[in-house]
Amino acid sequence: MKRHFRELSVLAALLLMLLVLALFTPNFYEPQPLLSRLTAAAPKLILACGAALIIISRQIDISIGSLFAVCGTCAGLLAAAKIPFAFAIAAAIGIGAIGGAINGALVAGLGLPSIVVTLATMVTLREALRLAQQGVFINLPEGAQWFGLAMKPGQSFICAVALAVLVVLAFATKHLAAGRFIYAVGSDAEAARLAGIRPRAITFAVFVLMGALAGLAAVLNMAQSPQVDPNSGRGLELEAIAAAVVGGVAVSGGRGKLWGVLIGLLLLVCIGPALTYAGVKPYWEKAIQGAIILLAVVADGLRSSARKGLFD
Amino acid sequence: MIKKLKSHEAILVTLLIAEFLFFNATGRRFATIDNLFNIVRHSVEIGLLALVMTPIILTGGIDLSIGSTLGLCAILFGKLWRDAGLPPWAAAIGAILVGGACGLLNGALITQLRLPPLIVTLGTFSLFRGLAEAITRGVDAFTNFPESFLFLGSGQILGVPTQAWILLAVAILIWLIVHRTVLGRSFRAIGFSSEGARYAGLPVERRILFCYVLAGLVAGIASLTYTARLGTAKADAGYGYELLAITAVVLGGTSIFGGIGSVHGAMLGVAALAVLNNGLTRVPAVMNIASELSGVLTGALLLSALALGTLPKHLAAWRARRHISLH
Amino acid sequence: MKRIASFISILVVALTFGCGKSPAPASVAGSNKKITVAFMPKSKGNGYFVSCKQGADQAAKDLGVELIYDGPTTPDPAKQNEIIENWITLGVDVIAVACENRDGISTALKKAQDKGIKVITYDADARPDARMFFVNQATPEGIGNTLMDEAGRLCNEEGEFAIITASLTAANMIAWQEKIELRRREKHPKMTMVALRPCDDLKDKAQAEATTLMSAYPNLKLIMAICSPAVPGAAEAVKQAGKFEKVKVIGLGLPSENKAYVMGGITQDVILWKTVDLGYLTIEAAAAVARGELQKGAKKFTSRKLGEITIEGDNLLLGKPFIFDKSNIDQYNF
Repeated sequence: MKRHFRELSVLAALLLMLLVLALFTPNFYEPQPLLSRLTAAAPKLILACGAALIIISRQIDISIGSLFAVCGTCAGLLAAAKIPFAFAIAAAIGIGAIGGAINGALVAGLGLPSIVVTLATMVTLREALRLAQQGVFINLPEGAQWFGLAMKPGQSFICAVALAVLVVLAFATKHLAAGRFIYAVGSDAEAARLAGIRPRAITFAVFVLMGALAGLAAVLNMAQSPQVDPNSGRGLELEAIAAAVVGGVAVSGGRGKLWGVLIGLLLLVCIGPALTYAGVKPYWEKAIQGAIILLAVVADGLRSSARKGLFD
Repeated sequence: MIKKLKSHEAILVTLLIAEFLFFNATGRRFATIDNLFNIVRHSVEIGLLALVMTPIILTGGIDLSIGSTLGLCAILFGKLWRDAGLPPWAAAIGAILVGGACGLLNGALITQLRLPPLIVTLGTFSLFRGLAEAITRGVDAFTNFPESFLFLGSGQILGVPTQAWILLAVAILIWLIVHRTVLGRSFRAIGFSSEGARYAGLPVERRILFCYVLAGLVAGIASLTYTARLGTAKADAGYGYELLAITAVVLGGTSIFGGIGSVHGAMLGVAALAVLNNGLTRVPAVMNIASELSGVLTGALLLSALALGTLPKHLAAWRARRHISLH
Repeated sequence: MKRIASFISILVVALTFGCGKSPAPASVAGSNKKITVAFMPKSKGNGYFVSCKQGADQAAKDLGVELIYDGPTTPDPAKQNEIIENWITLGVDVIAVACENRDGISTALKKAQDKGIKVITYDADARPDARMFFVNQATPEGIGNTLMDEAGRLCNEEGEFAIITASLTAANMIAWQEKIELRRREKHPKMTMVALRPCDDLKDKAQAEATTLMSAYPNLKLIMAICSPAVPGAAEAVKQAGKFEKVKVIGLGLPSENKAYVMGGITQDVILWKTVDLGYLTIEAAAAVARGELQKGAKKFTSRKLGEITIEGDNLLLGKPFIFDKSNIDQYNF
C-alpha cells in the first residue's frame, strides 16, 4: 500500500472528480460521447506510456508532438495515394522509429543532453513538415476511417489497442529483464553499467520505442476521422509528460508505474470537459492544468522530503 | 574543459562571420545600418532571457517558464496602467516586481522542496500563461500607451535603438556577476556538484533562488521592451521565447548539465540566431520560405554545435582506446 | 585566441555594415521597374491562406509584379511586426498583410508608411491610419450576421447554440463574436449561446470540444465553428455521436475540407468567400496602389478578373460572404 501511495492518491483524486461529475452533471456518462472521448484519448495514452519510459530512464523527449504529426501526415499521404492501408500503418511506425533512432543516437551515442537534442528535432521536424505540407488537410479515402470497421467496433478497437500497449509495456517493465534495465539505468546509470547493463544501448532503445509508439499513436488518431490535420500534435509532448508526472513518474528517474500514467492521463483529460460541464469559462483551463501539475510535483516533493527527515 | 570552451566559442565566432559574409553576398540590402538596428531591436527580448537563463543553466537548472512570466508581466503592466491608473513608470516597476515574484515561486519550489527544475518550470509555464489568459479573459489587450513609454521600443538614444542600451546594461551587469564575482563562480561550482558545493560551505539554496528571482525580474524588463515595441500587451506575449533562449544559450557553449558556460557565449548565440533569422528573409531564393527554413536550420545548427562540442571528448576517448589496444 | 577572434569578428561586422546605407524606395509611378509586393498571411501553416496565395500567385504572374510571401508559422503578432520591419529595410514597394493583432501591427505599418512604402491590409484589418486600403472579403458585420442568420434559420429561431473558436486571443474571432452577439440580441433573441470553447486551431481538439458540448448541453441545437479546422472537427463529432438530425453544424471553412460532410447532410452550410479571389484582388490593389493608379478617395476599382469592385470608404469589398451548401459545394476545389 505504501509503495503505491503516490499512484493511489492520484486514483483517489480521479475517483473524486468522477463522483462529483456523476452527481452534478450525469450527462458526462452518456455512453456514446464517453466512448468518443476515450477513443480520442487513446493515442495520448500511448504517447504518455512512451514518455513515462523515457522519463524513467532519466531522459526527456519534447519532440513527441512533432514526430506524431510527421508520422500522421506520412500515413495520410500514403493512404490518400491509395497505397494499401496496412503499408501506411507500417510506414508510420517505421518513420516514428527512425525519428526516435535519430534522437537516441544523438543522446546515447554522442552523450548529448536529451532536452536540447529533442528541442532541436522538435523544431526541425515541425518546420520541415510545414514547408512540405503547408497546413493543408489530407482527405483520406473511403474505408480508412475506423480501419474499415463500423464506428462503435472501430472505437472499441482503438481503445483496446491503446490498453493492450499499456499492458504489454507494464508487463515488460516488470517481468522482462530489458524492462527492469530501464529502471536501473534511470536510477543510477553508472551502477547499472558496473552491473553489466549497457546504459547507452538501453537509452537508445527507449528512444526508438518512443518513436515507434508515436507512429502508432498517429495511426490510431488518423483512423478516427476522414481527414488528417498536419498541425495536429501541437502541445502533445506537454500533455504526455504532464500525464506521466501526475501519474507518479519521477523526473529524477528510476521510479514510476505505467498504470499510474493511465490514471494521470484520465485525470488531465477530464479537466477540460469537466470545466465545460460546470460552466467554467475556458480561459481558466491552462491555469488549472498548470496548478495540477505543480500540485502533483509538490506532493511528491513533500513526501520525499518527509521521508528524508528534512522536516525534523 | 578550458579547451572545450575555447573551441566552442571559436566555432561560434566563425559561424557568425560566415553568416555575415554569406548574407552580405547573397542577401538584398543585408549590410545596412537600418537592418542592423532591426536585428538588434528584434533580439532584445530573447537576449535578455538568454542572459538570465545562463546562470540558471550554469547551476544545472533550467527555466521553461520565463516566456510565460513575460506574458504575465506584460498584461499586468497594462492592467496597472489602464485599470489602476498608475503612471507608466510605476506600472513598469509593478510589472518587474511581479516577474520577480514568479521567479521566487519557481526558486522556492526548487530549493525548498528539492523539486526538479524541469518539471516545476513546466508547471509554472502553464500556470503563469494560464493566469495571464484568465486575468484578461483571453480577449483583453492593453494599448494606446503614451509616447513616453513607447519610446522604449521604437525610439533612439544617441542614434542607437533605446532597448539596445537596456540590453547592453543588463548584459554588462549579468556578465560581471557571472564572470567577475564570487557569487558567479559559485554558480559553476553548484553546477558541477551541488553536494560538493554544499560541503564547501556554499549557501547553495540561496544562490539558486537568486538565479530564478533574477530571471523573473529580467523577464519583467523584457515584457516592457516587448510591449513598447509592439505598442500592445496581450496574454500571448513571449510565447515560445524560453525555447529560443535555451537554444541561444546552448549554442553559445553553455552545457545543459551545468558547470560550463559563459555569458558572452550566450550573447554570441543570440547574435548567430538573430542574424540567421534576418538574413534568410533577404535571400531572394529562399525569401518565401524564410520562416520555415529558419526553424529547420536553427534545429540543425543546434545539433551540429552540440555534436561538434563533444568532438574533442570523443576524439580523445577514441585515441585512448586505440592506444590501449595497440599496446 | 578568443580575444583575437572577437576583435576580428567585430571588425568584419563594422566593415560590412559601414559599407552599406539604405536608400529610400524609389518611386515607381510611371517607371519600368518591377514592383515588389510583400504579401503576409496571418500564419503560414493554414489552408485558408494557402488558397489566398494561389490567387496572389496568379495575380503576380498576370501583372508582372514580384511577390514576396512570408509570415510567422504560427499566429504570432510579434513575428509579424518583425517581418514587416525587415521588409522596410529590404525596400519593398507595397505591403499587403492580414493582421493578427490590430494595434500591434499598426506600429510597424506606420513605420513603413513613413518610409514611403504603401500599405494595404486584407482579411483582417489594422488601424485605419496605418494603411491606405483594406481589402475586405466581408465585414465583421457581414460575417457575423450571415452566421447568426443562418443559425436562426436552421433552428427555427429558438434554441441553444455553441461557438467553437480558434483561440481566445485571436483578434478577428473576437470581432466576429461581438457581431454575432449583437445580431443575436437584435434579430434572434430566442436563441441563446451557451458556450464558447477554443480549439487552438486544431481539428482534433475541435472534435473533442464538440463531443463534450453536445453532452454537456443536451438541448444543443447548433454548433457554430468559426475557425476553419473546427468545421470538419465539429461535423465529425456530430456524426460520431449520431446526432446529426438534432445538432446542426455551420461554420467558416474551406469547401474542400467540408465537402463530404456537407454532401452527407451533417454540415448544413459552410460560409466563406472565394479566398482565391481575395488573394488575387489584394495583389491587384497592391500593385495599383504602388503605381499610383489607386488613390485615396477612389470609389471604384476595376479588377481584370473580378470586374468592378466597390470601394466603401477605404474598404475594397469583395462582396458578401458566400454560402456553400449541398447545391454548389461541388463546384469549388479550394
